[in-house]
Amino acid sequence: MSTTTWGWLVLAFPLAGTILIGLGHKRLGRGPAGAIGTVAILLAFISAVNALISLQDHEREHRQLVSSLWDYAVTGSIDARLSILVDPLSVFMMLVITGVSTLIHLYSISYMKSDRGNARYFAYLNFFVFSMLVLVLAANFFLLIVGWAFVGAASYLLISFWYRRETATRAGIKAFVINVVGDVGLVLGTFFILRYSGTLDFLGTFHAVEQGAFDAHNGTLVAGCLLLLVGAFAKSAQIPFHTWLPDAMEGPTPVSSLIHAATMVTAGVYLISRMFPLFEAAPAAANVGAIVGAVTLFVAGTIALVQTDIKRVIAYSTMSQIGYMIMGVSAGAYAAGMFHLLTHAFFKALLFMAAGSIIGAMAGAQSLDKMSGFKRSMPFTFGCFVVGGLALSGVPPFSGFFSKDEILAFVGNRGDWFVALYVVGYIGAFLTGIYTWRMIFRAFFGRPVPEAVELEHGHIAHAEFPTNPANGEREDTEVGFPGPEHVIAEREWRMKVAMGLLAVGATILGVLQIPMVTEVITNFLEPTFEHSKYAHTHPSDGFVWFGMILGTVVALTGISIAYYIWVKKPGLSTALQTRFRAVHTFLFNKWYFDELIDLLVVRPWGAVGTWARTWFERVISDGLIVGGASGVVKAGSQAVRALQTGFLRYYAALLLFGGAAVVLYFLIAST
Amino acid sequence: MTLSILIWLPLVVAVLGVILGGKIAPKLTVLGTLVTLGIAISFVVRFKSGEDGLQFVTNEAWISELGISYKLGVDGLNVVLILLAAFLFSLSAIFANLREWERPQLFYFWFGIAQTAVLGAFVAQDLILFVAFFDLMLIPFYFLTGIWGSGDRETRVRGTQKLVIYTLVGSLLMLVAAIATGVLAAEQHDTDITYSISALQQLPLSDGSQNWIFLCFAAAFLVKMPAFPLHGWLPDGYKAMPLPALGVFSGVLSKVAAYGFLRIVLPVFPDASVHFQELLLLIALGSILYGSVMAFSAQNVRMVVAFSSVAQMGFITLGIFALNEDGVQGALLQMVNHGLVTVPLFFIVGLLAARAGGSEEIRDLGGIAFRAPVLATLFLIVSLATLAMPGSANFAGEFLILLGVFKAKVAFAFFASIGVALAAVYALRAFIKAMHNRVNPGVDSREVTFRDLAVLIPSVVVILALALYPQFGLEKTETTAKETVAQVQAKTGQLTADKTSEEHQP
Amino acid sequence: MDIGWYLVVSALIFCIGAGGVLTRRNPLVILLCLELMLNAANLSLIAFSRMHGNADGQIFALIVMVVAACEVAVGLGLIVAIFRRKLPIDVDELKELQG
Repeated sequence: MSTTTWGWLVLAFPLAGTILIGLGHKRLGRGPAGAIGTVAILLAFISAVNALISLQDHEREHRQLVSSLWDYAVTGSIDARLSILVDPLSVFMMLVITGVSTLIHLYSISYMKSDRGNARYFAYLNFFVFSMLVLVLAANFFLLIVGWAFVGAASYLLISFWYRRETATRAGIKAFVINVVGDVGLVLGTFFILRYSGTLDFLGTFHAVEQGAFDAHNGTLVAGCLLLLVGAFAKSAQIPFHTWLPDAMEGPTPVSSLIHAATMVTAGVYLISRMFPLFEAAPAAANVGAIVGAVTLFVAGTIALVQTDIKRVIAYSTMSQIGYMIMGVSAGAYAAGMFHLLTHAFFKALLFMAAGSIIGAMAGAQSLDKMSGFKRSMPFTFGCFVVGGLALSGVPPFSGFFSKDEILAFVGNRGDWFVALYVVGYIGAFLTGIYTWRMIFRAFFGRPVPEAVELEHGHIAHAEFPTNPANGEREDTEVGFPGPEHVIAEREWRMKVAMGLLAVGATILGVLQIPMVTEVITNFLEPTFEHSKYAHTHPSDGFVWFGMILGTVVALTGISIAYYIWVKKPGLSTALQTRFRAVHTFLFNKWYFDELIDLLVVRPWGAVGTWARTWFERVISDGLIVGGASGVVKAGSQAVRALQTGFLRYYAALLLFGGAAVVLYFLIAST
Repeated sequence: MTLSILIWLPLVVAVLGVILGGKIAPKLTVLGTLVTLGIAISFVVRFKSGEDGLQFVTNEAWISELGISYKLGVDGLNVVLILLAAFLFSLSAIFANLREWERPQLFYFWFGIAQTAVLGAFVAQDLILFVAFFDLMLIPFYFLTGIWGSGDRETRVRGTQKLVIYTLVGSLLMLVAAIATGVLAAEQHDTDITYSISALQQLPLSDGSQNWIFLCFAAAFLVKMPAFPLHGWLPDGYKAMPLPALGVFSGVLSKVAAYGFLRIVLPVFPDASVHFQELLLLIALGSILYGSVMAFSAQNVRMVVAFSSVAQMGFITLGIFALNEDGVQGALLQMVNHGLVTVPLFFIVGLLAARAGGSEEIRDLGGIAFRAPVLATLFLIVSLATLAMPGSANFAGEFLILLGVFKAKVAFAFFASIGVALAAVYALRAFIKAMHNRVNPGVDSREVTFRDLAVLIPSVVVILALALYPQFGLEKTETTAKETVAQVQAKTGQLTADKTSEEHQP
Repeated sequence: MDIGWYLVVSALIFCIGAGGVLTRRNPLVILLCLELMLNAANLSLIAFSRMHGNADGQIFALIVMVVAACEVAVGLGLIVAIFRRKLPIDVDELKELQG
């Protein structure tokens, strides 16, 4: 089979899974739905591997294959076809997405087994994978936007999966609306680019850029790229469009693991890499991307230091790590960015899964304040957390170390003001070490909490009645809460397999790209990026060594500080909090971004709505326009009504005399 | 088979229904609308996409002394709309069949007349004939709202009154304008009087007369749509209308107005169209923003749908007055899309009300999804289509519209795209408040029945099919869309050329 | 005979009819008076027809008679309906239609 056929198959399996589970949701609940979903994604993964193999059979120069099914909207100045582009970049993304998704589906079978929305869950999850694959396989802007929005919709559905929780539905609509803002940015950006490229097709656009279509209109290209960045920022939770991501933790934990860590949020990184010819032709826009990435990685790191909800800490960590990727690919480190995307998908998915396991042990509670001392009762989860934590904070030889340092080395090598970003990157790495290990030390070390003690005796804790971890509200148990039974990785082989495989990946994936030794990913992605102007810039060996040593030192310092504060001197963190109350409050309230957006965007529109409904509609529309018109009619009819007495003979007399008057008039007029 | 059969068949069925009585009339009407749909499909199938000009023309003298002819024809502008109208009337007929009406034969009689009027307006190629059908559309809705409307007597009376007075004023303006067009064209070119639209296209009026005639037509169409700020009749009128009638009213009748712009205004008054382009774009933008804002602050699901229509019609107007091919193509596609989502949306409003003890207030709803997953899923699909989720045909339409406006006037495209984001808010808000969150104590949640699905499934299937292949509509409309804007484009091209040359001079 | 005499008779009958319509309250009588008025018109039509020597006026008269017959049918029907509902047979009492 040809490469593109495998590409289409990759799309087909998850879609088939969605439809199958969706149609049979009544029969397939609980058992089979999860199995079907997992198998569908596994088949997609196998197809992706096949696509990889058959792509490698092509000559290096011919590794960009386009296949089109039918004309979607070809009219006027648009040429949107249903076409996919299979090239090393999309195959890479396909592999990451389907691979990690398979494991997360497997994990979900156990995690969601007591949920009454089981079938719905797997239908949504398969739909999400399908959407994400559409996004990465799209060969034109139109289909890209379709995938982009589908992913947003799937994310919405999964965030508000437990829809009886008002917190969940509110988080869902927030995520969706911010993502729609991103979609709009993408659409408008496409318009700018389409204006002079004349085609929606990626390869055609890149060709036009190469031919100098934008030479005389660089401003247009910059505007277009900036708008594309709005889309990328919204999806990848970069400042100022990031506020939806922490709230998105309302969704089931595997969802956070899949969508809000491993795949969807990296779409922005993919977008910038995919559009690299445009961004390289519009360096101003690329610089904005790099700066925003750096700002985000720092801000998110600081917020993660003080959050108490375990999932939110990981969410902010995700934001921060994606900040690295965005910064990297905006600066031209495409292969390094993709490499970090890959390793991050592994270790972050792993961390979320491990967090899910702890949450299970805590009977649904998510606050770090309530967790402590799980080390002995949950050794497997602890092990996974440690592996994930080491990879995240960039300790050699774990995978995160190599990928993060490669990005930073490249950025630093750009020189100029990029050095500032380089420094911010290492500050971020320092913060990463602290917040990651703060989480681990608080959850696993110290005195075991009652739940942990109970678990040591072999019982999983159960709350007296289930509550919403976000606001403590009592759950509506009919549907829309995670189910009465909680699961932990130690007891479920599926969760163990999924987490184990991810842990292995998080540990060893660094070998793909060891500086000066291997460069598998760079080589593999080369056909996509060969025309990049940064394709042949490499940091010097000395600089790389310097970076690696610096990274190790920074990460270990961070971890030691965390150890000192939260293990060595348990009272210290509270003391620090009181000492720097203002800073703590500021960070705890997430730099007040939510309030700011609320003040600047949400409230004005709400106020306009209320004003329109209560005042404008009544006074102007109903009062002035309608009231004026109907007022005239009413006054007129009032006058005429006086004549309508209802007396028949009165009418007859009127008629008679009226007729007589007319006749009389004509008689007089004629003489 | 001629177009006359298509347009008069519903009337014949309606009369038959009255004769045969209330027992048979409902079923007969469904059958009649389905047959009409079949005929409409046969026209679409036989329609040749690439050809210029009208097809299946019927041209008889009607009142030859006044130059009025009975001229019908199909081209790219109306071919898909005929199909849409026939489809939506079938759906609404089935929808109406799901409940009992007092004096059913009369209800279905007016319903049939409405269909004849709408189809007639779509295929009429003579100005006066168009005006006649356009005005005929109003009569059945006067009775349908006044007699069978929802709400108490006072609501119905007020709604009917507003609806009739408002649209009648518009119609009268249009009648004056139509007559003036024929007379002035004959006078200024010294020819026999004619009202054939294609002939009038060859007899351009002077600028001054074009302008006031344009405004009269625009007023009539904008009231019918309705567009901000001429929507005053909408809240009361929509509240009072019975839901099946409301479905076709919002789904098809508003499209007749938008179609009028394309059929009459753009080709016959090109100079005025260019002259008033920005005014119309402003009105469209106002409709989008105002409709969206109202929709997300409305407290009643029916009003959410109603104001979302204002916003959607705003998008359609925006596309038309981009005055280029992209915009017009997008507007045509969007007309179909909007029609397709409105009927199921109003139907769902009815279903929701049935579950919430007859109330359509948002605060009385909530938590229906769990016991009605199928309803929730279908509602979700329709909601997502309404908010023009990429991947739906609505998105293809909006994409083209925005692209057209982007090319014509960049600023308008940016402001209009705020409406896209607001659409996400109002559509999802209504969905969540009705289906999700805690169960409202007053709600009796239950699944849709098979009879309900008879309305919902066909519409959702068509929405999905069109989402997969919007080219179906686009390829049919392309040639005519090009022709329609050709004349206007010649003017705007001239204008921009003038401007650039001015810019270059200093 | 001079046409004037015919017209005078016609006018007299018309005035009697009109007076009856205006003064009587019983709908049945009003209907009768209406018939008188119509027939007055018929008389003048036929007179004119004879004066001009063609049949146009007679045709008009025939049409008027047909209309009159219809009108009587409707009117009597109404009166019977009013009677059946036990409403007063008095036009001054039947004034529901007032605006």
